[in-house]
Amino acid sequence: MTSLAAIAEAEVSPVAQYANHAELYRRMLTVRMLEERLLELCKDGLVGDLHFNRGQEAIAVGVCAALQPTDHIVTHHRTIAHQIARAAPLEPLIAELLGKKTGCNGGRAGEMHISNREIRHDFAFQLVGTCIPVAVGLAWALKYHHKTDEIVTVFFGDATSSNGQFHEGSTIAALKKVPLLMICENNHLAGNITPEYYLPTKTVRERMAAYGIESMGIDGNNVLHVMSWAEMAADRVRRTGRPYLLEMDTERLCLHKIGQGDVRSKEHLTELAERDPLKLSEEQLGPSFPKQKLVDTIGAALDLYIGRVLAEGPPEMNNA
Amino acid sequence: MKRDPFHRNRKIRDAMYRATIEAMRERPEIYLMGEGSHMKVHFDCPELEKEFSERVITLPITEDANTNFAVGLTLAGLVPIVDVISSDFLYRTFDAIANTAAKQATVAEPRTIVIKAEFLTGGPTTGQRIESLFAAIPGLRVGVPSNPDDAYAMMADALKHPGVTVLFEDRMISDSELDQFLYKPLQKWATQSATPPKGAVSRIPDGIIVSYGLTQHILRWHGWASLDLMWLYPLDLAVMLNNLKKRVLYCNAKEQSLLIVEPAQTFLGIGAEIAAQVAEALPGVRIKRIGAPRCVIPASRELHDQMLPTIEQVKAALKELEAAGGREGTTGRVCQTRIRQGNGALEANSRGKKPARAEK
Repeated sequence: MTSLAAIAEAEVSPVAQYANHAELYRRMLTVRMLEERLLELCKDGLVGDLHFNRGQEAIAVGVCAALQPTDHIVTHHRTIAHQIARAAPLEPLIAELLGKKTGCNGGRAGEMHISNREIRHDFAFQLVGTCIPVAVGLAWALKYHHKTDEIVTVFFGDATSSNGQFHEGSTIAALKKVPLLMICENNHLAGNITPEYYLPTKTVRERMAAYGIESMGIDGNNVLHVMSWAEMAADRVRRTGRPYLLEMDTERLCLHKIGQGDVRSKEHLTELAERDPLKLSEEQLGPSFPKQKLVDTIGAALDLYIGRVLAEGPPEMNNA
Repeated sequence: MKRDPFHRNRKIRDAMYRATIEAMRERPEIYLMGEGSHMKVHFDCPELEKEFSERVITLPITEDANTNFAVGLTLAGLVPIVDVISSDFLYRTFDAIANTAAKQATVAEPRTIVIKAEFLTGGPTTGQRIESLFAAIPGLRVGVPSNPDDAYAMMADALKHPGVTVLFEDRMISDSELDQFLYKPLQKWATQSATPPKGAVSRIPDGIIVSYGLTQHILRWHGWASLDLMWLYPLDLAVMLNNLKKRVLYCNAKEQSLLIVEPAQTFLGIGAEIAAQVAEALPGVRIKRIGAPRCVIPASRELHDQMLPTIEQVKAALKELEAAGGREGTTGRVCQTRIRQGNGALEANSRGKKPARAEK
């Protein structure tokens, strides 16, 4: 039986304190293990429409490690990794994902619209592209009204770059010169569709030249690599007050969501799994890293929280 | 009276700007934004441009992103007024209003946003009256002021309301008509309270004819008072229902009538909702609706008038209601409410002609 003290330890530590590899790995592992448990709850019909990050955890965790605690993030709908990367308290997070009244948004937002001002995760939106102009507006307000050096980081996928909101938002970001770090999680998928159906260019960053927004492409599955380049990019955005795009190459190793098939063959998925960011980190951390202890501690905490959350009720439903 | 679809009536617009300027003086977090916003305030409200040019944000022709951008501002504690201009442009940013702003207001801490659009009638994309679409969306408050006092109060209130308000400026309500109906002059607004009337419908003694916006004036011009909804959501029908209820008790349920005159299409319009609520609350009340056809605003100027209800339709509908109740000739008691204080002003319109009067 894991002690309550050990369970408390499983809570990820505040943003500024975790810029070491073990802590980065712990966050990625927490995302992975929570999503595995949520998948089982989905299969049991206890939770609705969730979107998982398996294979992409290094981006959220690495980028958020490079940000200041006062910086803001705005995300797409695949939000569990970003919440944990920003050290969201786990029990209210799980409660929100399950639509319970004890959730961080009172159970009204769910996974795809979750926000938490305490960790400066200000906005998440299901429909692709929306997050970009919203993030631009937030960045504008921080720079021109509040006159702070805080920056906004917006996370989106490669398929988003074909949506009108991406282009309208990028236009305004460039025109208004806002401090916006654009993180493209390029997983080469739009739901279940492959790039030949949605991306007319080889990369997303090619598109940014049209807006005069500088950009760079990196490997998004090496968490240390992600953190280093994100630090560089965040610093650049903070210094210049202008937008910058980092395109991160990654693979989603799970379905788009429960109930959908996967166009990729099993052989191809096995190949892709070789790029699993957790596997890469485990190799880098070496055989002496106490992975099993971490798995036990995180697992016990998650099981405790999920058990308690399941006993909670939904929020009241009122006319709005 | 004949309405010129291209005439720029100023009074309701000026009242909204007055409320905006006064709020901006007190609250540095209020910003005005939209396509060509600097140019628009340059011509429409030079005072605002002179005093708050740095708080006007001119954005590209990116309607949907502009509203999303405004939602971003609210996340940093700012209060944006998004000027969408023609109401048809609301379709372009429907997603950002319905999906982003309204949902943000319902799933997280609600934040103040005002979305402003205009009605006129000059062609297929010049102000389609689509307010009922927005009234149907959870998370939105929707208002159509029919006069400068209400426009002032509703804008002032919207800027304080923790949530999303869609406000319509009806450019078809003529300044000269407003002059006729004893509305307060502009200089008084600066000193009066910005607090709007409680509930939507406290001023009209008898809630027998219901309308809002432009149709208020079509009725007034002909000497008919109607209950002004002002806010289409929340739809406060308490006063009207009470009035009807009293009459139901006093007379006989079978003798009660409700006429709804709306400036927008009747199909799935606000009148349909009112009719349903009244029918559920007071079975037996006879109800009729008059409004626009389910039609895009025509390009032909000859057809523009057909997009608005006429007084002949109102009279015919009242006769029909009376006949259905078997009480021919009793309209005056049941359905007809004359404007007492406004009668003097009805003697002449701005063109020096005596307006048509409703028959007694």
